[in-house]
Amino acid sequence: MIWATRRHVHIDRTACAWLLRRFVDPAAEFVFVDDPDEVPADATPFDMRGAELGHRDGRCSFESILIRYQIDDPALERIGQLVHEADIADERYDSPEAPGIDAILRGLTLTAGGDQQLIDQTAPLYDALYSLWSRTG
Amino acid sequence: MLAYRLPRTPSTPRITLWRKLRRLGVAQIVDCVVALPATADTREQLEWLAEDVVEAGGEATIWLAEPTTSAEHRRLAAAMTERIDAEYRAITSEAQSTVGRPATERRRTLARLRRELRRVATRQHFPADQAQVARDAVEGLADAAASEAAA
Repeated sequence: MIWATRRHVHIDRTACAWLLRRFVDPAAEFVFVDDPDEVPADATPFDMRGAELGHRDGRCSFESILIRYQIDDPALERIGQLVHEADIADERYDSPEAPGIDAILRGLTLTAGGDQQLIDQTAPLYDALYSLWSRTG
Repeated sequence: MLAYRLPRTPSTPRITLWRKLRRLGVAQIVDCVVALPATADTREQLEWLAEDVVEAGGEATIWLAEPTTSAEHRRLAAAMTERIDAEYRAITSEAQSTVGRPATERRRTLARLRRELRRVATRQHFPADQAQVARDAVEGLADAAASEAAA
C-alpha cells in the first residue's frame, strides 16, 4: 500500500512509518506531500489534518494507528506514550525518554538527506525501544 | 497565524484550547487570532489546534501572515519575550528563596524547577535574557546539595 504524509517528518511521522511497516503493511511505501491536495488517490494519509490516522481526541497519530488497526501490545503502547510526549508534550504520560528522543530526531533532521532517509535511519531506534520494552515491560 | 471561532458553550473545548495556546507561547494579536514565528513545527502545532476547533464545532483557518512594519514585528516579539522573562524570573526567585531550606525540600524544588525550566523553554521563541539567570539559580540548588554531600 501507499501511505502519504506531510514533508519534513519528525517524531510522530517517523514512528508512524515504522509502526505501519512493522505491524500493518510490510510492503508499505511512503510519499511526502506539501499540501493535502497532493495526496495520491490510492494512498492512505496519516498524521495530516483531517486524516483518520491523525491527531484525534487528544491522541497523537501513532496512538490513532494503534487503535484503528486494533494493535494491542504494551511495548507499542509505551512507544505511543513516548511519541505523544515528544510530539504534544501535554504531560499526559510520564515519558522521561521523550526529550532525549526528540533531541536525537532534531539532530538527524539536520544530517539526513530527506524524509525517506530519516524514516530509514530512525527505524533501528524504534526497533531498539521495542526490543527493550518488550522485555522489561 | 491561527484565526478561530469557537461556540461559547460548552466551555471545556475553549479552556482546553486556551491551555494548549498558552503551552505553545503564542502571541495574542486580538481575540481569537494568535500567532507564532513561522517554522514547520509551529505551523504543524497550529494546524492540529485548528483541527481541534473544527471538531468542537467551531471554525479555524491558518495563515502565513507578516506585520507590514518592522516596528510591529519588534513589538510582538518584545511582548512574547517579556512574558517568557517573567516566567523565568518567577523560577529564579523561587530557586533563590529555597537556598536556605532543608536539603529534602531543596531537592524536591530542584526537580520541579528543572521540569518547569524545560516547559518554559519549549514556548520560548526568541532569545530571553532571563533564561540563563533562571538556569543558574536552579542549578545553584544542585551545587549546594553536592557541596554539602562532599563536606
